[in-house]
Amino acid sequence: MERGFLNNRETILSFIKRAISESEELQTMVVPFSRGDILFKQGDSLKYLYLLLKGSVGLNRRNEDGYSLDLLKLEPGHFVGIMAFSTGKDSLTTGKALEDSEALKISQTELETYLNDHPRLRHPLQQLMMSNMADRFMKNLQLESKMHQLNEKLEEEGEQLKEAYKQLEESHQKLVHQEKMATLGELVAGFAHEVNNPASALLRSSESLITNFEKLSDNDSLSGMFTIGLKSAPMSSVDIRERMISAQKRFPWVSERSLIRKIAQMPDSAHVLIESTRKKVPIEKMVQQFEAGKFIHNIQVASERIANLVKSLKSYSRQDNNEAELIDVRNGINDTILVLSNRLKYLDVHLELLDIPKTKGHLGELNQVWTNIIVNACDVLPNGGMLVIKTKAEGEHKIIIEISDNGPGIPEELIDRIFEPNFTTKNQGAKFGLGLGLAISNEIVRQHGGFIRASNKKEGGAKFEIILPVKLT
Amino acid sequence: MDHQIYILVIEDELEVMDALVKDLEEFEQKFPVESANNAEEAEQVVQGIANSGDEVGLILCDHVLPGKNGVDFLISMESNQLFTDSRKVLVTGQAGLEDTIEAINKAHLDHYIAKPWKKEGFQKVVVDQLTSFVIKKGYNPLEFMSVLNSIRLAEALRGSQLTDH
Amino acid sequence: MKLNTTQRIGLLAGVFGLIVPFFLNIAGLSEAGHVALGIFFLAAAFWMFEPFPIYATSVLVIFLQVLLLSKEGLIFTSSDSSYSPDSYTAFIGTLANPIIILFLGGFVLAEAAVKYNLDKNLTRILLKPFGSKPKFILLGLMVVTGILSAFMSNTATTAMMMTVILPIVARLENNDPLKIGLALSIPFAANIGGIATPIGTPPNAVVIGALSQQGINIPFGEWMILATPLVLVALFFVWILLLGMFKPKTDSVQIDMSGSFNTTKNAWLLYIAFGLTVLFWITESFHGIKSAIIALIPVVFLTLTGVVTKEDIRKLPWEVLWLVAGGISLGISMKSTGLAEWIVGSIEWNTFGSITLLVVFSGVAILMSNFLSNTVTATLLIPLAVSLATSGVAGEGFNLIIVSLVIGMSASMAMMLPISTPPNAIAMSTGAIETKQMAKAGISVGIFGLVLVILYAIFYWPLFLN
Repeated sequence: MERGFLNNRETILSFIKRAISESEELQTMVVPFSRGDILFKQGDSLKYLYLLLKGSVGLNRRNEDGYSLDLLKLEPGHFVGIMAFSTGKDSLTTGKALEDSEALKISQTELETYLNDHPRLRHPLQQLMMSNMADRFMKNLQLESKMHQLNEKLEEEGEQLKEAYKQLEESHQKLVHQEKMATLGELVAGFAHEVNNPASALLRSSESLITNFEKLSDNDSLSGMFTIGLKSAPMSSVDIRERMISAQKRFPWVSERSLIRKIAQMPDSAHVLIESTRKKVPIEKMVQQFEAGKFIHNIQVASERIANLVKSLKSYSRQDNNEAELIDVRNGINDTILVLSNRLKYLDVHLELLDIPKTKGHLGELNQVWTNIIVNACDVLPNGGMLVIKTKAEGEHKIIIEISDNGPGIPEELIDRIFEPNFTTKNQGAKFGLGLGLAISNEIVRQHGGFIRASNKKEGGAKFEIILPVKLT
Repeated sequence: MDHQIYILVIEDELEVMDALVKDLEEFEQKFPVESANNAEEAEQVVQGIANSGDEVGLILCDHVLPGKNGVDFLISMESNQLFTDSRKVLVTGQAGLEDTIEAINKAHLDHYIAKPWKKEGFQKVVVDQLTSFVIKKGYNPLEFMSVLNSIRLAEALRGSQLTDH
Repeated sequence: MKLNTTQRIGLLAGVFGLIVPFFLNIAGLSEAGHVALGIFFLAAAFWMFEPFPIYATSVLVIFLQVLLLSKEGLIFTSSDSSYSPDSYTAFIGTLANPIIILFLGGFVLAEAAVKYNLDKNLTRILLKPFGSKPKFILLGLMVVTGILSAFMSNTATTAMMMTVILPIVARLENNDPLKIGLALSIPFAANIGGIATPIGTPPNAVVIGALSQQGINIPFGEWMILATPLVLVALFFVWILLLGMFKPKTDSVQIDMSGSFNTTKNAWLLYIAFGLTVLFWITESFHGIKSAIIALIPVVFLTLTGVVTKEDIRKLPWEVLWLVAGGISLGISMKSTGLAEWIVGSIEWNTFGSITLLVVFSGVAILMSNFLSNTVTATLLIPLAVSLATSGVAGEGFNLIIVSLVIGMSASMAMMLPISTPPNAIAMSTGAIETKQMAKAGISVGIFGLVLVILYAIFYWPLFLN
């Protein structure tokens, strides 16, 4: 290009400066600015275009949200207000002198005049404008790519944040759960203490009652009936009905139905005793003795049940101290089953707890794992469903606990998600927080150095395998 | 009376059944007691009672039972016209609110006894329910005055146009 | 229907009794008399042993008489010298006998009174003046029971009063004899109170029915004048007796009867009907309108106004009306066939004094009605007494009205056993009393009743009946 020599902005500027010094008319158009002077404001429509000769001007834009942003710093050789001037639209920015500066202030008409009357100037000015435009475009491109970089970085940080949040959530859930279990543990400890007192009073009193009774009855056949009653477990109603028919045949002289029912619940030895003393002792008295024995027996059985329940509840929900202890996992499984006996009542539960080595760990925490898995099984199993729990050792260093059922199994599309936090197929919070989720179970097992594997059995039903390493230290 | 009015108890824990039947002993001279350990057995018992031309006046039923639960059993009794009039009482410590609402709506549950029960309150419920049954059925109140609620029976008698002869 | 041994014996005896006279030839008894005797045997056996409900027997009696003794029946289609058969309407007409209509009026009033709780509210008001001392409470309960049972059936009154006393009994201490006293006072007072008015209890109807066949009308008010003083003395005696036998331990009894009079329009209509009817009944001797006609007032008034509905009418104790009608009907043929006369003639009555005869009738009536229905007792005995009196064989002083009253009132004095009267059965079934206690008190009342009735028959009734 023949005019290539004008490409350089500075060259053009010096050319223009020379032109100014040669023209008095132009010199009148040079305006000085002190630092902080405003050339034009955002929103003004510009009548003048400034060619910066000396110093610098900043372009600043205030966004609608009130945030003010410095966009560009213009240096000598740059036009100020060129966008608004050339498009005729309101200025998008505010121009402000950043230091004491000088600029050639050109009005619309003047510019056209100059361009027409001074061909010498016309070309450099056009060149300068082009260069200004090119500058701005370059800047735009740079900005664009910078923005892209920033976005990428932002995304990366977002991912990291998500991960951190997930971890936080997990540990929060675990903390809540631990807190719950701790509260439960405290409650149970207090409750157990309170219940153990009346339960032991019941047990002791019934024992004393037995000795008293035995001393009270001076008649051998009466105390015999009492002893038989003491050993008689209650009968199923089917048995009672059957035996009532035969008892009525054996004792045709008894007409009261309630008496026959009681006689039916006696073992044959008591029948023999009644027959042998028929003439001497009224049958009502014999039956009363038997009943007394039977009810004391019932008290004993019931209070023993209370005591056992309290014991396993205590050990089930006990507070682990932070130190891992040498534990037998099977004890925990047995406690768990007792505590859940109400829910397991009508399931067919098979235990195959083979010998396994002791390992260092937290029994209470592991109990949560068994509980979660068993409760989940209970939720899907119908009455009479089967639950199998097995333990076995693999070599000296591995314990495998397998809990399986014959329920509907885990839907294949969900099987990969069940250990995710917050995964649930039922309304959360509907049940007291024993089944707080497999995620916690997973976490607990992981902290013990093991892992959980869930699968569906070929013959139907879900299977959970927990593999724990044997740790002795 | 030319037939028997039975009290039916359904409870799966044998010790608890023992205690329930013991508290019903005083009624047995007028109302023979039958027992069952689960709903399926109860259905057979009830059928047997119906076959011999007798009636079930009162059903006392636990909720948590092996197999069919208590509320479902009571609902099936309600829909059987032989036992629609039988008074139905849930004796349980375990039925949730939803089960209970269902029992009231679908089985027309007449009463709810929470375990553990006390003899006096328990027997009062039994007396009240059997009294309602006898009055509803229009049986001669005189036969039951000494065991059941004599005031309510006398009131029923008053409305029944008794006459001299 | 399964019959027990007694009932089977009754069934056999009845059938046998009906057939046998056909094959006998009893001197002095007409052919129709033989038939009537057979029916009498059947009725007696069936009523006493109850192989069938007594009201069923009553209808059977009417039917057999129509079949065997009426002009339209199978045997006697025309009159002859020994028997001029009645039309069948005479027998079935007993179902609309004035005394039946009188009872119907009483039933409607009683039914409506129960429906609008008038009986209970009256009890509440009437008991107030008796305070809280056990002996006066006992008296109050008896007086109220007596008054109510004079206008309602004894049984319905007892059932209502049981709802009043059972809460008191329940609150008393277990060993307080007052419990027994209270439980006995109600049926006793109800049995006795029934004597007071013609509509009080069916035996009264039998008496009035039998007398009306003899052309004798006893106005409502006059019956009350004859009966009420006897009732009052008897009640007083029972009160003293029960207080003596079952001395109350407690010194205060609270009756908590809450409630208020029903004030709906229908209830007011009932109160008005009740008051007017009773007023007109009592004043029959002044205005001369027959009580059976007055009895139609509540029937008409209460059904027209809808106070008593179709359902209420269906519930009325119609069987009692049948029972009474059967009795009246039996009396007709006993007289017209000459059977009654023959029975009377076959006994040498004049060997007894007339007072002895009254004592015997009263004693037999009390004894019989302890085991049989009071109405049946009156039904079986009164035709006999009527014939005896009308034939004149018992001599002067054996007044037809007096002997009928003696039998009727004695029949209501039976209260020894739970089976004696329905009120007794109700009281017994509450479990508050033992049969032994009822028997002891009941025998005393029976003996006193006999003496009382005889004394009134000799000294009081003649003042009004001549």
